[in-house]
Amino acid sequence: MGMEIPFDVANIPGPEMGEVAPPEVIGSYISSAKRPLLVVGSEILRDDFFLETAIEMGRKGVPIAATGHSIRGFVEKEYTENVSYYNLHELTNCLRDPGWKGLDGKGNYDFVIFFGVVYYYASQMLSCIKNFAIDPLIRAVSIDRYYHPQARMSFMNISPEMEEGYKDMLNRLVSSIK
Amino acid sequence: MEELKKGGIFNISDLRNVRISIGEIVEEEEEWEPMGPHPMPGIATLRNWDFMLLNRYKPFYAPLCDMCCLCTYGKCDLTGNKKGACGIRMDAQHGRIVLLACLVGCSAHCGHGRHMLHEMIKKFGGDVPIDFGPEVDVEAPLTRLVCGIKPKTIRDYEKVFDYIEEQIVQLADALHTGQEGSYRDFESKALHMGMLDSLGKEAADIIQIASYGMPTSYEGGGPDVPLVDVGIGTIDTTKPVVLVIGHNVPPAADIGDYLTENGLEDRVELAGICCTSIDTTRVYKKAKIAAALGRQLRVIRMGIADVVVVDEQCIRADILELCQRVHSPLIVTNDKAMHGLVDRTDDNPDKIVDDLVSGRAPGVVILDPEQVGEVAVKTVIQMDKKRKGLKLILSDEEFKYYVNDCIQCGNCTLACPNGLRIGEANQSATSGDIKPLAGLFDLCVGCGRCEQVCKKHIPIVDVITKAAYPQVKEEKGRMRIGRGPVWDSEIRDVGAPIVLGTIPGIIAPIGCGNYPNGTKDAWLIVKEFAERNYIVTLTGCMAIDAALWKDEEGKTVYEQHHGRFDAGGVLNIGSCVSNAHIHDAAIKVASIFAGRPLRGNYEEIADYILSRVGACGVAWGAMSQKAASIATGFNRLGIPAVVGPHGAKYRRAFLGRPDLKDDWKLIDATDGSEIYFEPGPQHLLVACETVEEALPMIAKLCFRPSDTDRGRSIKLTHYIDLSLKYLNAYPPDWHLFVRTATDLPIANKNELLKKLEDEHDWEIDWKMKRIKEGPIRGYDPSFNPTNLRRLIREKKK
Ligand code: SF4
Ligand code: SF4
Ligand code: SF4
Repeated sequence: MGMEIPFDVANIPGPEMGEVAPPEVIGSYISSAKRPLLVVGSEILRDDFFLETAIEMGRKGVPIAATGHSIRGFVEKEYTENVSYYNLHELTNCLRDPGWKGLDGKGNYDFVIFFGVVYYYASQMLSCIKNFAIDPLIRAVSIDRYYHPQARMSFMNISPEMEEGYKDMLNRLVSSIK
Repeated sequence: MEELKKGGIFNISDLRNVRISIGEIVEEEEEWEPMGPHPMPGIATLRNWDFMLLNRYKPFYAPLCDMCCLCTYGKCDLTGNKKGACGIRMDAQHGRIVLLACLVGCSAHCGHGRHMLHEMIKKFGGDVPIDFGPEVDVEAPLTRLVCGIKPKTIRDYEKVFDYIEEQIVQLADALHTGQEGSYRDFESKALHMGMLDSLGKEAADIIQIASYGMPTSYEGGGPDVPLVDVGIGTIDTTKPVVLVIGHNVPPAADIGDYLTENGLEDRVELAGICCTSIDTTRVYKKAKIAAALGRQLRVIRMGIADVVVVDEQCIRADILELCQRVHSPLIVTNDKAMHGLVDRTDDNPDKIVDDLVSGRAPGVVILDPEQVGEVAVKTVIQMDKKRKGLKLILSDEEFKYYVNDCIQCGNCTLACPNGLRIGEANQSATSGDIKPLAGLFDLCVGCGRCEQVCKKHIPIVDVITKAAYPQVKEEKGRMRIGRGPVWDSEIRDVGAPIVLGTIPGIIAPIGCGNYPNGTKDAWLIVKEFAERNYIVTLTGCMAIDAALWKDEEGKTVYEQHHGRFDAGGVLNIGSCVSNAHIHDAAIKVASIFAGRPLRGNYEEIADYILSRVGACGVAWGAMSQKAASIATGFNRLGIPAVVGPHGAKYRRAFLGRPDLKDDWKLIDATDGSEIYFEPGPQHLLVACETVEEALPMIAKLCFRPSDTDRGRSIKLTHYIDLSLKYLNAYPPDWHLFVRTATDLPIANKNELLKKLEDEHDWEIDWKMKRIKEGPIRGYDPSFNPTNLRRLIREKKK
């Protein structure tokens, strides 16, 4: 754990900046969350591995909101079990409302994982959650290859040549979800 | 005492206890239409309308910064919706920032408009008539609507700007610490500012159209405006090149005049960037459009310009430094952006030319447009000879050296707004594959941040340009010149199909070039909707960028589609200020087609548009504060807008919640009954992550409660089809827009009825192919939707 430079270097929001966390820590939070939600964006389509990772998490019972045009990938893989298309603005707007019924009609979420959303758009939505989804608190984290200061927890920046290392982190994360 | 009218006769002996003061003589306004309820509305006048909008489309805030540092109590940490020392909460503070952005944007348009008015009165006199030809009777819909004024000459705009400026000052006052404290009221003020912005834009464009004789409905105007060259590849660099940048056309127009008067049109290239270039093509036939805003840095760095002339807005703040680097003298022409240069307006032109050519002065300020014309042309002719030998594109050796020198540290990527992987592309280039680097050219927004952090001092922008040079030289498009107003006769033809929904929508791609994934998205948006018979009306940088790409036949969207305001049309309306004509087209549908009173009647017209005119703005690369005020102006008038992912950094969206039933109630004006309705339009301002997501979203935001079943079925066809094409899935909410079986697309009606039955538990009468139960409401062709109780014709018994 430690400080990291935001992926978009000037994106320093203020006194509360997210912690860099290893995959197992994030995995254990997901495991202990009452209502976790995986929010995926269009960047998961850049490599089958990321799509498979999301599907794996879905299979472990984490419902998926597919934002951007990421739903394409799930349909192509014929995984539609607990996936719904949502526009990210619309979704975040719902998340900030404690009365929202959720994707399954059973209520809002307490732990939200951002994965594969364009960096700056994700950062803004994480900011909304951090600043306004406070009572009850929703924790939002990022498992992208970027450091996201607006998330409660995030990976560090991972350069392209460390891609294999990043994939390994995602594998560790998925296996640590109980 | 009765007001004394000009030309009236009165007997002085009848007057008692009367003081006569002679000020401005008020000429009687011709009674062209009775005055409506809200002429020249103040801050609070339309607050109820705003609050109705804000209840349905609640402001959504995504702070870009969690602190406030506007006064010396601060910095205040507002994280978690805390309050600052002055008592303002994070949400209200963000409403305040939005109002501030709209203030800046609106001031830019209106400052430009007022400046234009001064210049034009000085040049042509105040009596220039506002006459847009036989097809345009309603010449200034926003001016009539907001101010209650029917302008006859450009001088009439003095009153309009007096009103706007007073309102801007009052709204700016609200920004001070210890004033407004409610986010909803900040947003109402931002909406007011947005409305002023649209009015100011209309004023600016009307003044320049009238004064310069830009295209209107006289011969050669409207759908028949000519095409011009667009793109870096169209500039003939064997000739001296004057490059104009900005938004205020008079200096460029005077350069054109000087070239014409001196027979130099074929000897000198006059090219432009951004809105000045669009407006230059409206006044000077030989002008070319080099590029939109996103290419500014690169066009200058490529050394294309032998002289650069800037006016106002969207000019790079380091323009002087950029020009010096490539030995292009700079002429600045506007007191709002003087860049530290010496004001030489009153000097002898030849002496100024001499100083610029010799390099004694890297640039000058000249505030008289006519003088700019002479100095720019004389300078460019001499500079062309001087600059001939300059090599500004990297040599092969230099290119090789730089890509090899890169250590893949990633600093540039962290600095890049689009997170472009420059190091990776450099590495590919070292092994001979320059494609990844060349591919960055269109994705780059031309900001230059990367170069400042490169420890190896690699001129990254030049390296990318070098890799892409063969394709850049071929950047040759065509676009229609800005046509200005949509004709009344066109509105008469399409008013019914728009309101009934059989023309599925008016799509308005507008604004800047801060795209997430290059200019091709602009082209794709236009192409998709034009091919589907929407009306596509473009302005500003998006109008330019859409012209850079061609279909299989080698045609741009402007060459492929007609320019009428009709199904399948692709119209370049003009520069940023011209996009007021898109508001105007919607207003004219309400007034000309539907006969709604226009004068001083903003609220009713906006109510009409919100419920009946399926229009949607698309600011895919929105960047500036002007784009913020433009979108907010659209929103107050009842027109939604979609922005690209960078648009999330505007911090505020207006999002509807279809799951909250009570947010979606309309009144039937026929009898006053309240009706729950489908969420059309669902949002007023929303960001999409990718163009694939945006296309169905834009189609969705064209649903309106007034759609007939035929119109709704056409809109649904496109919504579903775009979703299947780009998301590979049915939209999860398509069923919300079904009121009756005849709303369904005919081609797959049975399949959709089955889906309604299976997936949404609707009750279907299969024998009659009818829906028995399920929809939010049934289809009632006589439904007369309104949000305004005062418009109820007859109270329900
Ligand atoms: S304006 Fe208010 S929130 Fe901002 S620094 Fe001053 S006291 Fe703090
Ligand atoms: S900052 Fe310079 S050295 Fe580092 S990756 Fe970018 S181009 Fe290469
Ligand atoms: S100039 Fe282009 S590559 Fe460099 S930081 Fe800006 S957008 Fe990125």
